[in-house]
Amino acid sequence: MEKDNIIEVKDLHVDIKMMEGTLTPVRGVNFEIKRGETLGLVGESGCGKSITCKSILAINDRKCTPHGEIMFRNEDDTEVDILKMDPKGKEIRNIRGKQISMIFQEPMVAFSPMYTIGNQITEATLLHITKDKKKAKEISLEVMRKVGIANVEKRYNQYPHEFSGGMLQRALIAMALVCNPKLLIADEPTTALDVTIQAQILELMKELQKEFNMAILFITHDLGVVARMCDRVAVMYLGKVVETGDSKTIYANPQHPYTRGLMGSVHKIGGRKDERLFSIEGTVPLAMNLPKQCGFYDRCDCRIEGLCDKAEPELVEIEPGHKIACFNCSNPACQAHRAEVEKRLAEEAANPVEPDEGGKKRGKR
Amino acid sequence: MAKRTKSKEDYYLASQWTLMARKLKKHKLAQVSFIILAVLYIGALFADFLAPYSLDEFDGLYRNSAPTEIYTIFNDEHVGPHVYKLAKTIDKKTFEVKLEPDLSEYYKIEWFVHGTEYKILGLFPCDLHLFGVGEGSNGGTGAKIFLFGADSLGRDIFSRVLLGARISLSIPFASAFISFFLGVAIGSISGYFGGVIDIIIQRIIEVIGAVPQIPLWMALSAAIPAGISTVKMYFYMTIILSFINWTGMARVVRGKFLSLKNEDYVMAARISGVSTWKIIWKHLVPGFMSYLIVSLTLGIPGSIVGETSMSYLGLGIKSPATSWGVLLQEASSVTDVAANPHKLIPIIFVTITVLAFNFLGDGMRDAADPYK
Amino acid sequence: MAKRSFGDSFKAFFQKDLVQYIIKRVLMFIPTILLISILVFFVIQLPPGDYVSAHIAALATEGELVDADYAASMRADYGLDLPVWQQYLKWVKGIIWTPTDSAYYRLYHSHHNWKYSFAYGRDVWSVVNDRLGLTIGVTAIIMLFQYLVSIPIAVYASTHQYSVGDYISAIIGFLGTAIPNFILAIVLMYLSYKWTGNANVGLFSQEMLQNGVHLYNFGDFLKRMIIPIIVIGTSGTCGIIRSVRAQMLDEVAQQYTLTARAKGVPEGKIIMKYCFRAAINPTVSGLGGVLSSLFSGSTVTALVLNMQIQGPVLYKALQSQDMYLAGAIVMIQAVLVVIGVLLSDIALAFLDPRIRYSGGNR
Repeated sequence: MEKDNIIEVKDLHVDIKMMEGTLTPVRGVNFEIKRGETLGLVGESGCGKSITCKSILAINDRKCTPHGEIMFRNEDDTEVDILKMDPKGKEIRNIRGKQISMIFQEPMVAFSPMYTIGNQITEATLLHITKDKKKAKEISLEVMRKVGIANVEKRYNQYPHEFSGGMLQRALIAMALVCNPKLLIADEPTTALDVTIQAQILELMKELQKEFNMAILFITHDLGVVARMCDRVAVMYLGKVVETGDSKTIYANPQHPYTRGLMGSVHKIGGRKDERLFSIEGTVPLAMNLPKQCGFYDRCDCRIEGLCDKAEPELVEIEPGHKIACFNCSNPACQAHRAEVEKRLAEEAANPVEPDEGGKKRGKR
Repeated sequence: MAKRTKSKEDYYLASQWTLMARKLKKHKLAQVSFIILAVLYIGALFADFLAPYSLDEFDGLYRNSAPTEIYTIFNDEHVGPHVYKLAKTIDKKTFEVKLEPDLSEYYKIEWFVHGTEYKILGLFPCDLHLFGVGEGSNGGTGAKIFLFGADSLGRDIFSRVLLGARISLSIPFASAFISFFLGVAIGSISGYFGGVIDIIIQRIIEVIGAVPQIPLWMALSAAIPAGISTVKMYFYMTIILSFINWTGMARVVRGKFLSLKNEDYVMAARISGVSTWKIIWKHLVPGFMSYLIVSLTLGIPGSIVGETSMSYLGLGIKSPATSWGVLLQEASSVTDVAANPHKLIPIIFVTITVLAFNFLGDGMRDAADPYK
Repeated sequence: MAKRSFGDSFKAFFQKDLVQYIIKRVLMFIPTILLISILVFFVIQLPPGDYVSAHIAALATEGELVDADYAASMRADYGLDLPVWQQYLKWVKGIIWTPTDSAYYRLYHSHHNWKYSFAYGRDVWSVVNDRLGLTIGVTAIIMLFQYLVSIPIAVYASTHQYSVGDYISAIIGFLGTAIPNFILAIVLMYLSYKWTGNANVGLFSQEMLQNGVHLYNFGDFLKRMIIPIIVIGTSGTCGIIRSVRAQMLDEVAQQYTLTARAKGVPEGKIIMKYCFRAAINPTVSGLGGVLSSLFSGSTVTALVLNMQIQGPVLYKALQSQDMYLAGAIVMIQAVLVVIGVLLSDIALAFLDPRIRYSGGNR
């Protein structure tokens, strides 16, 4: 684990056992976040973003079984693997809320309607920082003020239904920040809000990030938000990161056909070409019994027949900090990867016996 | 890939009923229940034929006798299934009168015997019964086959369970349909029009719901004049049972109406000038039909219990007509039941039917939400 | 301040909108009761003929013939010759307030005249009162039993979904709701007689009826309560288990459960503080229904088990067309149910801040 990194996700897979078979919404995700940095995780609905970030806190549904490694730099600067912890144990609970906290998509349902906002914010403080109720309340009020909630004394004793959506999102942010975490996971925090309020909330998050010096994992499908918020971007498709790099680089020079499609839809909104781009051959396939091919194969407009439907490309670094997973790219690193895979395929065709690497990766564990 | 897309499309295009049926197919317990209920209803439909005896046949000798034992071997010879006639014997020491099988001659069990006349489905006269006891091997007569034993008057409990099933199974069904129509009509009026009408209807539903069901049923049954014909009694019972059940249905319908009436497609229909009733029946009711069928199914067990309890208390169907509740009157004395446990057999039928309707309803409730 | 102290709750309880809500509920209670009284009176009026004709018929079977004049005077005495609506008004008026100078008050020293039970030859209220305490007591015991047994089972089943315990409780729950009360009573009575030689029928032994229930025979009394509790309580218990379990599973799947987990709240506290607290609300609001089904279930069961509660009295009253007595019993049970609903509504407003806030305009 590099010294600067606060978290490293390595080859994360998540399986969900179902009656019909095993669903693999996450199929090998890799990324890392440095201190104070913002990483945007971008992708369509159902590409595994949310499951990935829930895995970081080990709060996935009981049916989900994650594999791989999630290395986290603990308080005492030791490195711990979150996936090795008991999801109900004390160790992980000491990380949740205290060192890594999360903001959820819909503030309206993220609070229990049964308790006051104050009660729910202070709960984390009481768990992690102080047992003194008075002090805990002081801390909560302070954070509530910081996130821009007016009249905090009164608001503290109000119930969620007495708050507006934007106010609730602020309260939710306050709840996430109350223990001064090192990493904040924001799962589409502005999707459920009005556009004007969205801007306010994003601005607020930026300010608070500076003040608290925390890293943010920002999950969204809105590229505009990414441009505004993130230092780096990881684009996910069908449970895999297909392109990652500095947000500036990716905006200026997207390499993966899927990323290009996404960018196109933002820049030329309303154009005919874009509509076609996003309606290519249905939707993201169901991540179950996936064939041994590039996940984007069915929808790709520059696929290579005989290669893309036979093997899955891996992430290759094409310039410092910029990685893509695609065979059809003129970059020498990609070409090398392509040649290597083509050679392997040719060998396999010659003596077709053993199960290949790709098979292993798709979660036969 | 193409195949998957196709099946997916099928899934989205399938009608609600197809989806429901498909889901129900996965629910084994509901399927078994459906088969059991089908068997019971068909049995009740052809009860006259399946039952060896009619309602008013009795044999005083067989009073309270246990289920007739069926033998296959007579004097070390395999003669096929047969029974023996019962005869009174007196224990010489205790002077107790006992019924013992008279082993001197055997009576073969025969298929398709001629017996009391009846009408198949109430239309065609016939005297065939599925099975019965033939003549004795020495030409004797008068042997009986009572599969479930006999009641205190020497009547065949098996035949009476079958014949009683007609009433016990059809009253709840009929009353379910009446409450269904009442519930949909009143509930949709309440939900669609709202306002004062809604308030009044809701109050009435609340009031009927507040009165404990069985006491209310009892009070209503007590109002039925004594000595009326069985047909009339049947009619009254049906009405009484539906009197309470419609409220639950009306509540469901009203709730669904309130949530659906502001949907765009209803608004569209209204703007196009479709009449109110047509909107209700063509646009709204189909939208929650499956839920109604489910609550209908789940309402039937309650009616079965209602009819059985009323008849058991002597407030419902009365002898000579019979229903399962009337049969259970025989089981009201503990000492009597302890001596003749076969009188508890009708309980098995009531319980199985009630359970089957519950399981079926439960399976349907799961299936009613097909996209879940 | 993490937990709402009792003082806070108390203050919240007496917020202005809550008081308004309670007043509104209580005011709605009055027309409901009046409507119930109309329904009950309508039902007890339904039987053809009246008590006098039933009485005369009964006398006739004993060979005593009564002439028409006597019958008419009897009807006039009881007010049975008046139009139905006048009879109803008289009935309701008598129940609400009977003045001190009336003959009834002089006789019974009560301002509430529930009329006369023809069959018992006594004041209806005294007949009802004989068993009212016991009826309410038995019902309360069974209700307590239901909640004490069902809620822990439901919480266990929902937190151990698809475990063996969950399946067992689901199966028992299903059987319990499906098997009719009185049939269970017959079967248990039979089994009890088979195994112990005693059917344990009736709440009291002969000896208890003479000497009353004391400490030394309390055990026997409890033993006699077992079958009634099982028979009457089972269906409700199973119903509560099923609904609380379903509700708990809903709550466990809620987003705020996840929020709490992400905060680092321990599992047990999540279940109790968030899930259970929210899941209990529908159970509280179902109290009226539970009460109603208890009265319903206990009526036939009491007849089967020969329990000394109101069910058998109602049955006898209906058979002999003793309409005021039957009406009083049905009416009292219905009013108790409505009071149950009222109390559960108020409790719900206390428990659920959303209702408190909207003043009950759900």
